[in-house]
Amino acid sequence: MVGSQLYFYITKLHPVLIIVLCSILAVDLVTLYSVAPYLALKQGMWQVIGLFVSWGVLLVPYPLLLKNARWVYGFVLALLAVVFLVGHVSHGARRWIGVGSFQVQPSEFMILALVLFLTWLVCPRKKYDPLTMKVFIGGLIATAIPALLIAKQPDLGTAFELMIIFSVMIFLKGIPSKIVTITLLGAVAFFPVGWQLFWNHLHEFQKDRIRAFIDPSSDPSGLGYHTIQSIVAVGSGGWLGQGLSGATQVRYRFLPGAHTDFVFAVFTEEWGFIGALFFLGLISYLIWFGFQTALECRDLQGFYLASGVTGFLLFSFLINALMVLGILPVVGVPMPLMSYGGSAMIVSLASLALLMNVRLYSKK
Amino acid sequence: MWLVLQNVMALEFHSRKKGFFGSSRARLQVLFLLSWLGLVVVIVRLYDVQVIKYHRYLALAQDNVEKVVPIPPLRGEITDRNGVVLVHNGPDFAVFETPYEVKDPRRELAWLSEDLGIPEKILRNSLNRLEGVLPPHVPVPLKTDLSMAQVGRVNMDLYRLPGFFIQVMPKRIYPPDGLGSHLLGYVGSFTPADLKGSFYRHLPPGTGIGKSGIEKEYDSVLQGVPGSIRHLVDSHGRMIKSLKNDPPKEGRSLRLTIDVRLQMTAERFLGDRRGAVVALDPENGEVLALVSHPSYDSGELSQAMKSDRWNQLIHAPEHPLTNRAIQGLYPPGSVFKIVTTMAGLMEHKLDPDKPFSCGGTFRVGSVVFHDWKRGGHGELHLHRAIEQSCDIYFYTLGMKLGPEPIAHYARLFGLGSRTGIDLPAELSGTVPDRAWKKKFLHAPWYPGETPPMAIGQGFLTVTPIEMARLMGAVAMNGHMAVPHLVMNDKSMGYVRPKSQQAPDIPIPEENFAIVKKGLRDVVAAPHGTGHPVNLAFFEIAGKTGTAQVVSNRGKMKNVKRPKADSWFVGFGPFDNPKIVVAVLIENGGDGGDVAGPVAREVFRMYYITHLTQGKTGSRGIAS
Repeated sequence: MVGSQLYFYITKLHPVLIIVLCSILAVDLVTLYSVAPYLALKQGMWQVIGLFVSWGVLLVPYPLLLKNARWVYGFVLALLAVVFLVGHVSHGARRWIGVGSFQVQPSEFMILALVLFLTWLVCPRKKYDPLTMKVFIGGLIATAIPALLIAKQPDLGTAFELMIIFSVMIFLKGIPSKIVTITLLGAVAFFPVGWQLFWNHLHEFQKDRIRAFIDPSSDPSGLGYHTIQSIVAVGSGGWLGQGLSGATQVRYRFLPGAHTDFVFAVFTEEWGFIGALFFLGLISYLIWFGFQTALECRDLQGFYLASGVTGFLLFSFLINALMVLGILPVVGVPMPLMSYGGSAMIVSLASLALLMNVRLYSKK
Repeated sequence: MWLVLQNVMALEFHSRKKGFFGSSRARLQVLFLLSWLGLVVVIVRLYDVQVIKYHRYLALAQDNVEKVVPIPPLRGEITDRNGVVLVHNGPDFAVFETPYEVKDPRRELAWLSEDLGIPEKILRNSLNRLEGVLPPHVPVPLKTDLSMAQVGRVNMDLYRLPGFFIQVMPKRIYPPDGLGSHLLGYVGSFTPADLKGSFYRHLPPGTGIGKSGIEKEYDSVLQGVPGSIRHLVDSHGRMIKSLKNDPPKEGRSLRLTIDVRLQMTAERFLGDRRGAVVALDPENGEVLALVSHPSYDSGELSQAMKSDRWNQLIHAPEHPLTNRAIQGLYPPGSVFKIVTTMAGLMEHKLDPDKPFSCGGTFRVGSVVFHDWKRGGHGELHLHRAIEQSCDIYFYTLGMKLGPEPIAHYARLFGLGSRTGIDLPAELSGTVPDRAWKKKFLHAPWYPGETPPMAIGQGFLTVTPIEMARLMGAVAMNGHMAVPHLVMNDKSMGYVRPKSQQAPDIPIPEENFAIVKKGLRDVVAAPHGTGHPVNLAFFEIAGKTGTAQVVSNRGKMKNVKRPKADSWFVGFGPFDNPKIVVAVLIENGGDGGDVAGPVAREVFRMYYITHLTQGKTGSRGIAS
């Protein structure tokens, strides 16, 4: 059984993808090592766990996963509720749940659960039918509830990612003009109230970040500090980078969140423009692979699943990179496969496994 | 290979069956194109930041890790003529802020205010003062003169106060009880206005610069050259290693001409009265003592002080910040009779041996002038007129002369012009004549204005230092030295550039001899007005003055009719003048009785310290 599985992978999986993935994981470890050696060790452990989880994801054909998407979604939503009530607090945020030092963030897992659930919701049959108002509202609610719970943690970035996944799925499904009109009208009508609600529920540091984004140089030592230090780190990399020991922004801790949200800045300071191009090449391959998987899939459900996963990966990479480069506000979206964090690493690897899954099990 | 082929076939097959996927496939392709666009944006921005603006961001990254801490130089010490240290430096702990490195100004300032026990508003005010003037990477002192407890609390808290640090700075230490405060002056941190001068541009904030007195006049000598330490620091401002150490260059010391023993004596006997004392060497102009009272505490003024205390000082009715010795303008009173006498002798309007009858009154038109002594002095000649300060004698002489000759000789003796002493903001008195009155008061000169001028009243004003110089010129038979405070001594570092020497006054020696004989008897004769100054062992000559106060100077509300200003200006020893002493006491009353004793004690101290060394024991000194 295992032998035949192994043969299956070697023949069917892309060897290039395996090489690219291993390269990214290695780059991740080296970068985190330069920030702090113990981070690389822990991240390596999470990478191994993530690869095992991916293996598990590959074993279950995706139609079966989609059939049970409701239960997966419900389970993760329940975990989120538990976190909301009794979660472990760290760095002023209530995000973690677990036993002892083994802590996970259900919010990260919600990303995959939502992709599965929305795929199941948008495409219940294996045949294309136009989007109905019922499905649209249902999907909106299914996204809004976890997004609100996560935003209250507070984790604006992940909540933002959930909304992006919903948008991608609905966009791909094709939106009837009726729904577009109603949505736009509703949005315009509720914008003042909605914005007030949104703004009032933001934490002060989140408001500060949005204010700082509008003019980061107005107060270089205050609100825009993250953004400015990040750009300084990237800029001081130059063509060839400062190397692991010469990157002063990282080494002397001027770059906040160097191992999480700003890990891309660390990499570019150390490896320069050439290194960044190499890294972007690797990432582009992953994204291309995701798009290819969706486009090649002959099964409608597989198409949506692969598209949703690819959308998540694409937008996470883009938003994070643009945030590091000071084009987008500091919203707190981690870079998949790169930012330090066990749950995020598992989810990133499992999402790649889902793409493989679609390739393996879609009808030929 | 077969699989790949099969896939390609399948793709073609599907693309024909459009209906099955709806428009979803086309939409995904749009998304795919958009993702390439996103990649292009990222690469363009990376190129912009990493390649085009590389040098700018590299410099910023280096600014982050390299911190230059300027070290203020040690100011030079100030000693008296005998090497007694008057001003030196002590340690002062100060908390500094580098605005660029502060991450969260609001919270950090709140924490700091808690540590220091100082309201946040006050800290913020001291920050705002230099804001916008200095670049944000220059550290600015926030609070100086910290107690050890404050230093301890801030040090414990530095981990959450990036951009703040504690540094030991030199602090000026002045003599106690305000000794010589007007003369020494004080230092203070520079203001934005000071920064405009190129000299202060390179100084680190918090460096004291001279604000008045010797500290200001000789600031460039005392200042020194600041140094710096270049550190490698992390984001919390913690020093990782020291890169370069550039020690500051200490300022040069100054040796004053002041003799601290005379200075202390003068201050002690002037006591609480408002006034001034100047003692100088008539031969070379070395100032031996320069006192003004009320005074202030130089040490207090040199530190950051509360604004209400400062306001109290500048608005006090006694004007403690005014250096009366060089800035106080007073009528010279009878001391001026020296000038009138000289004018009379030179213009041949006066025969010193011709007897004169003083009846106690003098009439000009309808105005009647009285002598200070009711009933007059009876019959006398010049010698006695000086000795007893007979007003009628000089009224008569003045009327014979007119204002112009008197003013001419007053100016020859240096009145009406600054002495050129090496102190900032010296003022000069006024010598009136017809032209002066026309120019400034737009009025003609009335005959009734001449008699008061002849006895040093009216529009005539002088400063105490001018009077000391005048008496010096009399003592030295016309040789007039420029008063100065810093020794011309190469061994002590600074050499004062030679100031232009005024030419000797063209008056024959015999005229000086006549006046000096009279001045000697002012003190020596039992009926002389300056007899209280007389010392048995020290031949002093001089002149008293009891000048009516015409202005409402001082605005002293508790004094209804102000008493006259008391003067005594004299020199000694008579045959070989070594010291001139000028004493002025505002509203003191009789010159000889009030100002005289102060001068006497200065003469006595001079005698003890300068003329008896190795000659007599202290036994011969009691008078």
